[in-house]
Amino acid sequence: MPTVPERLVAFLPNLRRFAISLCRSRELADDLVQAACERAILAADSFAPESRFDAWMFRILRNLWIDHLRRLKTAGPHDDIDEARDVSVPSGEAAAHARMDLAEVTIALQKLPDEQREVLVLVCVEEFSYRDAAEVLAIPIGTVMSRLARARKNLMELTGISFGERRSPDTKGGVS
Amino acid sequence: MNKDDFDDETLMAFADGELDEARSLALEEALATDETLAERLAVFLDSRRLVGDALKPLIDEPVPEALLASVRKMAADAQAPRDNIVSFRPKPQQAAQPMARRWLMPVAASLVAVVTGVIGFTLGRMGPSATDASTEIAAALDREASGRDVTLSGAVLHVVASFRDERGELCREYELKRQASSTLTVACRQNGAWATRLALTTPQAEGYVPASSQETIDAYLTSIQAGAPLSAEEELKALAP
Repeated sequence: MPTVPERLVAFLPNLRRFAISLCRSRELADDLVQAACERAILAADSFAPESRFDAWMFRILRNLWIDHLRRLKTAGPHDDIDEARDVSVPSGEAAAHARMDLAEVTIALQKLPDEQREVLVLVCVEEFSYRDAAEVLAIPIGTVMSRLARARKNLMELTGISFGERRSPDTKGGVS
Repeated sequence: MNKDDFDDETLMAFADGELDEARSLALEEALATDETLAERLAVFLDSRRLVGDALKPLIDEPVPEALLASVRKMAADAQAPRDNIVSFRPKPQQAAQPMARRWLMPVAASLVAVVTGVIGFTLGRMGPSATDASTEIAAALDREASGRDVTLSGAVLHVVASFRDERGELCREYELKRQASSTLTVACRQNGAWATRLALTTPQAEGYVPASSQETIDAYLTSIQAGAPLSAEEELKALAP
């Protein structure tokens, strides 16, 4: 079984994705990842080898993020709020209309309350079960479900994407 | 089967593959004839796919060099024999230089550190020689909510956050701003008194405590397995006599 420090490096892309999804800023995300790795190494003894490493790391990172939010609240205004808007839409192989939907989804995600976004990310991106998500967030499974359902309905409302009558592709270059 | 039998959470659990078999079968049956139900289900199926499509690709983004190097070094250092003094373990400064931000500041650089360690001086247990200041601080810690400035004689006290340590004791992190210096302290309640666990004093500067002392505090909090900060309600409850 690899040790905590050994696993950290391999887990970085995943941890970073989680951080960016949570805090919506790459700069802050990288700070959080760095700090979470430091904490994980310091607290390596408290990691139970039979438990999920990803869940453990996500919990550490999320706690740091909450600390950070808490400090922002008590310390007054802070720059990061202005920076927290740079989760860009992935480009590449996605078809044009899919990219458009993704842009809307990305914008909608940023509008969701933090507590809805974090549960959404754990279940729909990291593919955690409700039970595992409940453990990371330290909330009852019933709360995970109600929050998650609310998050998804909000998201779909915010995107305004209507399935079954998807816009035709030729509206995408619309003038004016 | 009436569609009202399936609430949003049931539909969502089905979309996420978390619904038990019996209810899944019942739902599938109902879906065959009920279009409204199918539309409601689509919200959960589509949202899962869309969020996944939007955020999953972030994993392919290259990890910034500086971060990667820093964590590699951290991991390598951790494999080497350990230093006992948690707060002052050398940080991966080499890799951190290009970023040089909040979490990465070298701990010792601008810091006049008074580390009292676990034993430290004990507020409120100093007997006859107790200064009025200690008593005043202890009283404020017993009473004041986090996030507010409290004016004491000769200093301003600002409780940053409350949390519990590994033994479940209530702890508070607070900043004491005096004319010439400011001290960031972690104190925990022991036998009804506030025991200082760690105190860091820095020369007074404009604004908030320098990042470097924050980092030391963070490292210390990790070492005592501090829980997440208490919410305002939790704190109120913990402070109630």
